[in-house]
Amino acid sequence: MSELKRTILYQAHLDAGATMVDFGGWDMPIQYPEGIIAEHLYCRRHCGIFDVSHMGRIDVEGPDQVAFLQHVLSSNVLALDLNQAQYCIIPDKNGYAIDDAYLYRFEEGKYFLVINAGNIDKDWAHLMNEAKNFDVKLTNVSDKYAAIAVQGPESKKILMTLSGGRQLTPENVKNALNSLTMEGKPVRIAKTGYTGEPIGYELYCNSEDARYFWDRLIELGAKPTALGARDTTRMEAALPLYGHEMGECEMGGEIQIYAVPLAKFAVSFDEAKGDFIGREPLKKQFEALKKIMNRDYSSIEDLPYRIQPIYLEGKGVLRKGFPIYCKDAWAEGKQIGYVTSGTMIPYYKTEGQGLESVFTDETGKRSIGLAYMDSRICQDFDIEIDIRGRRQPAKVVGYHIRQDAAPYVRPILPDVKIETAAPSTDSYPEKMKNLVAAAKQNHLWRQTECINLIPSENTQSRAVRMLSASDPCNRYAEHKKQKAFYDAEIFYYQGTGFIASVEAMLVEEMKKFLGASQVETRVTSGQMSNTAVFSAMMDFKNRVDRKRTPQRLGWVMNNHIVRGGHLSAQPMGAFHDYVAIDPVTEKQMVVNFPVCEDNPYKIDVEKTKVLLAQYKPEFIIFGKSMVLYKEPVAEIRKFVDEQGIKTTIMYDMAHVLGLIGDHFQKPFEEGAEIVTGSTHKTFFGAQRGVIGVNWKPEDLKWGLWETIETRTFPGSVSNHHLGTLLGQLMAAYEMNAFKDEYQKAVVENAKHFAKCLAAEGLDVAGDPAMDYTETHQVIVKVGYAHGPEVADRLEANNIVCNYQATPEEEGFSASGALRMGVNEMTRFGFGKEDFAKLAHLIADCVLHHANVKEEVKKLRAEHLEMKYCFSDKDTEELLNAFASATGI
Amino acid sequence: MNYPTDLKYSKTHEWVKEEDGLTVVGISDFAQDSLGDIVFIGLPSVGDTVTMGEALGDVESVKAVSDIICPVTGVVEEVNEDLADAPESLNSDPYGSWIIKVKEVSATEELLDAAAYEAFCATEEA
Repeated sequence: MSELKRTILYQAHLDAGATMVDFGGWDMPIQYPEGIIAEHLYCRRHCGIFDVSHMGRIDVEGPDQVAFLQHVLSSNVLALDLNQAQYCIIPDKNGYAIDDAYLYRFEEGKYFLVINAGNIDKDWAHLMNEAKNFDVKLTNVSDKYAAIAVQGPESKKILMTLSGGRQLTPENVKNALNSLTMEGKPVRIAKTGYTGEPIGYELYCNSEDARYFWDRLIELGAKPTALGARDTTRMEAALPLYGHEMGECEMGGEIQIYAVPLAKFAVSFDEAKGDFIGREPLKKQFEALKKIMNRDYSSIEDLPYRIQPIYLEGKGVLRKGFPIYCKDAWAEGKQIGYVTSGTMIPYYKTEGQGLESVFTDETGKRSIGLAYMDSRICQDFDIEIDIRGRRQPAKVVGYHIRQDAAPYVRPILPDVKIETAAPSTDSYPEKMKNLVAAAKQNHLWRQTECINLIPSENTQSRAVRMLSASDPCNRYAEHKKQKAFYDAEIFYYQGTGFIASVEAMLVEEMKKFLGASQVETRVTSGQMSNTAVFSAMMDFKNRVDRKRTPQRLGWVMNNHIVRGGHLSAQPMGAFHDYVAIDPVTEKQMVVNFPVCEDNPYKIDVEKTKVLLAQYKPEFIIFGKSMVLYKEPVAEIRKFVDEQGIKTTIMYDMAHVLGLIGDHFQKPFEEGAEIVTGSTHKTFFGAQRGVIGVNWKPEDLKWGLWETIETRTFPGSVSNHHLGTLLGQLMAAYEMNAFKDEYQKAVVENAKHFAKCLAAEGLDVAGDPAMDYTETHQVIVKVGYAHGPEVADRLEANNIVCNYQATPEEEGFSASGALRMGVNEMTRFGFGKEDFAKLAHLIADCVLHHANVKEEVKKLRAEHLEMKYCFSDKDTEELLNAFASATGI
Repeated sequence: MNYPTDLKYSKTHEWVKEEDGLTVVGISDFAQDSLGDIVFIGLPSVGDTVTMGEALGDVESVKAVSDIICPVTGVVEEVNEDLADAPESLNSDPYGSWIIKVKEVSATEELLDAAAYEAFCATEEA
């Protein structure tokens, strides 16, 4: 035992009563007295800390550091920005793994490579040998730092106590890094881990501070978690372990790198990376994998086996080495693979379904694992495991857990079905009656009993709704400008005279409202407006060279979705097919507006200028869906003009379209070239979109405008929903007639509502010096991950708003805020006093769990008549006559 | 570690007691502690013949699988089926969680009393 190495935390493990084992030459804890199951479950529900100081750590420095790492690692080192980490593999020349590793870039001029404890000697020899041809310096710094993995839903809260409330990483995303001090001691932190936890960190500290942090973490609620649970958590997350999923293969030879699913992310064939050890065999494996993924097995000999997660349906426990069979004819009863990792793993059971599913204290267990199997075996295939002579049924699954509903890992069990309500009747006349009754109930509930605070919604006036339901809702009116007729609009159908005149009038009203020279109104949603513009931008970019596949858009600057950017301007949304991949970093060419450190809802203009100068984006997209402030359009326009940066500035005003004017922003006057929006949020309209531009025929970008028109029709719509087009004209009349008083009321109400909510004791986001908001929106923080529950509680009390993730949170399920808009209730005549009353009711419900439903209904009942529209007696008679004549 | 004096023990860490003419077999506190969290047990069926020195079944913990060596030869009269659903009771109550009861016992291996078994376990630990 005396030869075994000890980490700096060895005594802490003994003090905790750990069972120690020889792990790759290290005397390490396999479990603490509570046992592996308790440790696993505690990590999943709360926070586990793991001593990972035994891992090998190497500093890579010197002029050739990048070239050397590109040569010895599978990944593209150039893709790594400062304060980012990446998973990678150290390949050998035959396409097998010498080890897997994590590469960190905590500082300029140096990389930090973390390797497996059991492979340190082998890796070191290999790296030193390869380093001979490079001007690099490798230093084994394993002893200098201790490493503690802090994993699980409470890890961030615990670590933020140590950081004194400071955000742990500048970007709240996986693989983000930071260097900071915690309780006066320097630490490096990485949002990484080996447990599959959506929230998990690895903390590097000086060895002499290790015990201090270990004990502090325990004091703050973390529990020591040892190698046993490290294995069960990583197995549940289907993460590979060298010696199981990499390295020696029990069926002979070694396991190919592309057999491991993570290889897809860890290996780069980027041109900038160039040649590297194992590139050719890896390329061959990758080409085979691409075919295999399409169930084309013509190159299967290049990648005959792949590793996938499996679930044991039969009796027993999966263990490494168990042979696997398949009943399909092609398998001919021969062994098709073996279990690489397996055991019995516990999980917390849940109650309810969807976002309402909650963890109970009841636990279950399942035998799951990973298996090396014939590449023809796919997800959901049935297989058989030979468990000591008995064949037991098992299934190939896609994953054992999901991390996409932070803060918790969610166990995924096979055969769980989402229950849907069975229809109460098979009779269609009955169904018809039920539908009408339910629709009436819903309408009256939302229109007379609910206080609607969803900022993306509004109620349309009676006139708008009646016109929308009239005859044009049944019609088509495709049209296109024709050069042969001096750009006259050519319609393809008869009977379009009326709607043609309506559309022409709508265009004029919207030009006036937006302050635009040209307007497109056929788009039927805000998202479609953006898609049409993006498509046009790309087409315009390629207009000179039509003989090659069009180039996508290069660097684009937008608001990140976690900072309020809407998905319609994100690569995951409408931007998906239009943004290029950067050949150097192999990432989408999107750079996000930086935000102020003390106010993440506000763009940091000075930092933005630095990025603009660096990236010279060809497209800048302002606008967001969580929006409290004006966007700095004028400042950015001035800067790009001064710097001569050739770009196009668009403002996606979906949320704030109805606020354009003296009380908010005038986008074109400030320098935007394109404005898009949806017309039913702060604007009064039917559910549609709009695009406005401010170019003239002699401008360079006039052609872009014409392309926007053609990418609308025929690019995006054929039938452009003529019923709501007609309704929209009425809405535009209302807006142009009443905007000044409406916009003023909206902004004043929002500021007053925010102040009242804060005075009631709620945590209102934004800058109090600016009354929290400059728009219709108010953001209230209700506690990390409590957003969905609180929003639900408010709905039960007839207050409808939406839960919202703030910039610090990990997405919808971790939402800790409510997003509220005053626009719809302002339209129903709510004034400052009403919003003060509402703030009180909300605080009562949120903070004190009070039932305020009756008071909410009463407050709503006082405001049933719509303001800021034509509502005099003559109008009412006119509409009644329209209704009786048309039957609407 | 607990070593009740009314039981006999095998060197493979099973406990044995005589009750109503049957031989009752379980695993010791030392055994469960070494295994860690027990998550599965493979049990024989009533009527099976079990043989001294051979596996009557197996227990699996998160970490490993381990055979349960039968200290007697005979015929299984009763099986504690509750253990199939709650193998963790072997951890929490090893002496209350019997595994099988054997009749027609024709051979029994040399068993240790509590004191001798405790001394034996001390050497195993070292």
